[in-house]
Amino acid sequence: MSLEAQIEAKFSGFNLSVTLTLPAVGYTVMLGPSGSGKSLTLKALAGLQPTKARIFLDGKEISCQPPEKRKIVYLPQSHALFPHLSVYENLLFPFKAQGRAIEHDLVEEVVETFALRPLLSRSPRTLSGGEAQRVALARAVCACPRVLLLDEPLSSLDFHLKFELLSFLKNLPSRFSLSVLHVTHDPLEALFLAEQVYLLRKGEVIFSGEIGLLRHLLKTKEKGGLEEVLRRFVSFLKGQNLPEIWDGDI
Amino acid sequence: MRQKLPRWGLFLWLGVGFFFVALPILHLFLSLSAKELFQTLKDQEVWRSIKISFEGAFGATFLGLLLGTPVGYFLARSSFPGKAWFESFFNLPIVIPHVAVGIILLNVLNENTWLGRSLSFFHLSFVDTIYGIMVAMCFVSLSYVVSAALMGFRAIESDLELTARTLGASPWFTFSRITFPLVFPYLLRGAVLALARSLSEVGALLILAYYPRTAPILIYERFENYGLAKARPITALIIFLSLVLFSILVFVSRRIGQKDVA
Repeated sequence: MSLEAQIEAKFSGFNLSVTLTLPAVGYTVMLGPSGSGKSLTLKALAGLQPTKARIFLDGKEISCQPPEKRKIVYLPQSHALFPHLSVYENLLFPFKAQGRAIEHDLVEEVVETFALRPLLSRSPRTLSGGEAQRVALARAVCACPRVLLLDEPLSSLDFHLKFELLSFLKNLPSRFSLSVLHVTHDPLEALFLAEQVYLLRKGEVIFSGEIGLLRHLLKTKEKGGLEEVLRRFVSFLKGQNLPEIWDGDI
Repeated sequence: MRQKLPRWGLFLWLGVGFFFVALPILHLFLSLSAKELFQTLKDQEVWRSIKISFEGAFGATFLGLLLGTPVGYFLARSSFPGKAWFESFFNLPIVIPHVAVGIILLNVLNENTWLGRSLSFFHLSFVDTIYGIMVAMCFVSLSYVVSAALMGFRAIESDLELTARTLGASPWFTFSRITFPLVFPYLLRGAVLALARSLSEVGALLILAYYPRTAPILIYERFENYGLAKARPITALIIFLSLVLFSILVFVSRRIGQKDVA
């Protein structure tokens, strides 16, 4: 196991109580409606949100370590590319920040993998949404993380860009030996990317398991869009004697 | 649908506004004789006063940046009861009449007060010294730096700093490589405004630090003692130098702003 975490936090009118385990190499998707605590969970794992959390990376507790020591990189929805640095300088930032010598082989590999060669001298402000997301992922890989946290990475992209980026994301764990935790409210992203899925509702994990369950649902012939898929998914979960806390207002 | 004003009307209004400011300045330059200007250029007292003005204004701007940048950072990044009041408070020096600023500074910094006595122990005197000039200029211009810093720090998305931390940057590295470069164009614009405000200060200096004479004080003195004709050449010279300096500073701050945006 790569990362095990138990997170407890109280906010006004909202309690977060999440326990999760991520593999050393693999793609995990945390699925839940808006306001279910997905982003808070990511920030807590990265050390950016004060919580009562116990986090173990390869069996070693990292709960008290500052964000820069955790080897967990957080990528927000906004991509957070540094606007005063070029794309190339953004890629070199993790090396400088960590005081490491620049690994030119790694930089070359991410430039090739994410097809960034024509963008290297550009300013992040001139990039399209898809290009910016690729640069942000490449920069995250340059930080050599054990865990990569992606906060709704595809939500601001149109269908074509989303489709193009899905293949980059899917290959990330095996290509760079890391664990990805991707949060989204879109079940289709989970279906395409996840090996393991967590369902979050009102700050609690109501289901965790293999993605096969979701795939099984999609194989059914009835049509009704995403809401129908989710409705059927919830009915399926209820059939598994899970707590009845995800009902009605998805 | 919005009614469009006729284009010629807008240009007319632009012209009226331009001439309201430019005409008196142009008239001043046109009413100067070459002889008057030549005499002023040879006048050591004029150059001394210009030097004092710039020393005082640059010193005040530097002090303002040292004091105002952390204040702007704190106001932008923290939340506490009365924060809005503090934000308004730092605009107070703009609304206090400048002679009153001189009075309140003299009242607290003269050597009969505990503060004045304490500071004189460190050989710091503010009445009729360059330090007094700097403090008075800093007082009247601080709000420009605080406002610029506040706006700059607020404009930086917190995601940038959070992501930098998870990429391996310490808090100091994050501040020096991400936060500061992004806020720098704002600070530069605030500093240019503070410098402009400092150079034009007269009221507070008349009370706290008449000597050593800054250029505006010398203009005032020449006008009081010898009339308009003797005040004109030095006025033209200081306006010319101010225009040159501000053209350079505005050009530099725009270039930095454009580089940031490009």
